[in-house]
Amino acid sequence: MTLIGADISAESVLNRGATQARKVGRSLSFGDERHLALSRWLVEEAYTLDDQRYEDWLESIAEDVHYLMPVRVTTALGAGYTTSPGMAHWDENKYSLSRRVARFLTEHAWTEDPPSRLRHFVTNIRTFETDVEGELIADSAVLLFRSRGDTNEAATISAQREDVLRETDDGYVLARRVIMIDESVLRTQNLAIFL
Amino acid sequence: MPTETTIYDDVRNGMLPAHIYNDAEIFERERRNLFSRAWVFVGHESEIPQPGDYVTRKVLDDSFIVVRDEQGQVRAHFNMCLHRGMQVCRAEMGNASHFRCPYHGWSYRNDGRIVGLPFHKEAYGGEEGFSRKGATLLPAPNLDTYNGLIFISMDPDAPALVDYLGDFTFFLDFYTKQSEAGIELRGPQRWRVKANWKIGAENFAGDMYHTPQTHTSVVEIGLFREPKAEKRKDGNTYWAGNGGGTTYKLPPGTLEERLRYVGYPDEMIERMKETWSPEQLDVIGENGFMISAASIFPNMSLVHNWPMVEDGEDVLPFISLRTWVPISEDETEVYSWFAVDASAPDEFKELSYKAYLMCFGSTGMFEQDDVENWVSLTNTAKGAMARRLLLNSRMGMLKDGSPVVPPLDSDEWAGPGVAHVGYGEYNQRHMLERWADYLEDDVPEPSRPEGMGAVRMTPSAAAAAAAAGECDGGETCESEPTTEGASS
Repeated sequence: MTLIGADISAESVLNRGATQARKVGRSLSFGDERHLALSRWLVEEAYTLDDQRYEDWLESIAEDVHYLMPVRVTTALGAGYTTSPGMAHWDENKYSLSRRVARFLTEHAWTEDPPSRLRHFVTNIRTFETDVEGELIADSAVLLFRSRGDTNEAATISAQREDVLRETDDGYVLARRVIMIDESVLRTQNLAIFL
Repeated sequence: MPTETTIYDDVRNGMLPAHIYNDAEIFERERRNLFSRAWVFVGHESEIPQPGDYVTRKVLDDSFIVVRDEQGQVRAHFNMCLHRGMQVCRAEMGNASHFRCPYHGWSYRNDGRIVGLPFHKEAYGGEEGFSRKGATLLPAPNLDTYNGLIFISMDPDAPALVDYLGDFTFFLDFYTKQSEAGIELRGPQRWRVKANWKIGAENFAGDMYHTPQTHTSVVEIGLFREPKAEKRKDGNTYWAGNGGGTTYKLPPGTLEERLRYVGYPDEMIERMKETWSPEQLDVIGENGFMISAASIFPNMSLVHNWPMVEDGEDVLPFISLRTWVPISEDETEVYSWFAVDASAPDEFKELSYKAYLMCFGSTGMFEQDDVENWVSLTNTAKGAMARRLLLNSRMGMLKDGSPVVPPLDSDEWAGPGVAHVGYGEYNQRHMLERWADYLEDDVPEPSRPEGMGAVRMTPSAAAAAAAAGECDGGETCESEPTTEGASS
């Protein structure tokens, strides 16, 4: 099912004025400077998230961000939906993201002490112009490998992302991210990470 | 290795053989003697509001289609075709008038009655060979509801749900009946944790003691003001009927002031006053206690907290229901729903949902630290040394079995059951005492399996068929069109 971030974001009751940007036209050429800039942004972000440098990550996120990962459900072919109506794993604004980051910065976020070893593999990047001035869309596939301790098997999370990146004087910032996780039942103990 | 008898004796004494949290033999016994009999929560009527709406839910390994039929009745069908045993519904939610098996095309109305059997005449000689009349998908042995909460028991002779829940219904109303409209559910979020299912159920039932330590971080970041150690120990733990929970002590004030303190708007408070009994209102208004986490034996839990969801001083309450569905002795699938009063204002519903996401569920900031502990505990419980260790679960009890603090008297506690202020493991012991009672009591050998169509009907199938009403259309039943795709 095609991911249309604007529609999924608009369905959430917590979408409070986030951008409604939609893709326009075919994907940008891989040699296009804008494509190269967005690809670089996503790779840099992957390293930031791997290193759990979450304060730095927050700085690359717009004040009006909508960061959304709906719960996926198994529905019959033709049912017309593959997400749980009205329920997400993340349905975040800048404030709630900042609380999550603040928690990791305390000395008492036990779930990440000792920290996970994380690797965000980001690939299949394609980029688009949008119907909003100064905003571009980047699609990507992300595979997160998460290893904790020495006892349990590592967890992997696979997802597609559609990001709206907004051009500012300081470079691009993330204005909307819709994550379509590929599992209906998560096989990781929690989402004390970001995708 | 201790004998089974000493396991149960130790558990009843509040000294827990650590291996009960990761032991294949114990798990097999739970399957055979506990989950074969207890009432298990599978969903809420608000998840299937329209005729044909269904969800598929599990009781251990058994998949049931929980569906509202065309007459509006909620049913649970064992998700296995009568012919070759294929799942007749492979989606987890949807709307369907019929379920058609993809293997040979047998199809069933959403009330369970078989209506389509390809080549019935040629292959079976019609009704003479396979009587469709009265044949249904196997119904769940027992299904019952309370405040729209749907429970299944695998025991056809289970007591009525309301009797099983007992006095806990007094507290269940706080979570699931804040107005005559009842609750609406969203979700569930589902995820698997490598932890034994009992740990979470015990934790929600009564572990106030972990809150100040495990959840330090959520206080530090200003998400929740209550869990500080000094505040937490002023609350009580209560046990009533077949469940128990924890409370917080509210600041002095009237009923209305106290409900406002946790973030309820006045219009919701008015409806609570119309809906709850004087005793229920007194628990808050007179006694000053507000419900927080709770569990119903064996594996359903509830939570009610009131975090700050926006910058500022305002808090907002949320409710979550969940089940700890056992996968094995060391793995649990968590189903976690957000629940909200159906007549609450839209803005309340939105922010309450936000509060839920920030605190509990797959991304919840409380939840994250809980699960880390439970996974670690389960890992450690696997080995030989765990068989030599009895975990001390006697908090709140002196060596002679008397309580450290006396239970609240009737002036201090308007609710049923027994409540103790402060830290204690009364409820965890109640949970595990029931667990021991079930595990020790072997179920009789299973009755003969039921078949449909060609053989004489067994009494329970006949009763189900009678309840469903008989298919009166003869051959025309077969050509009933199937709809949306549960059937695909």
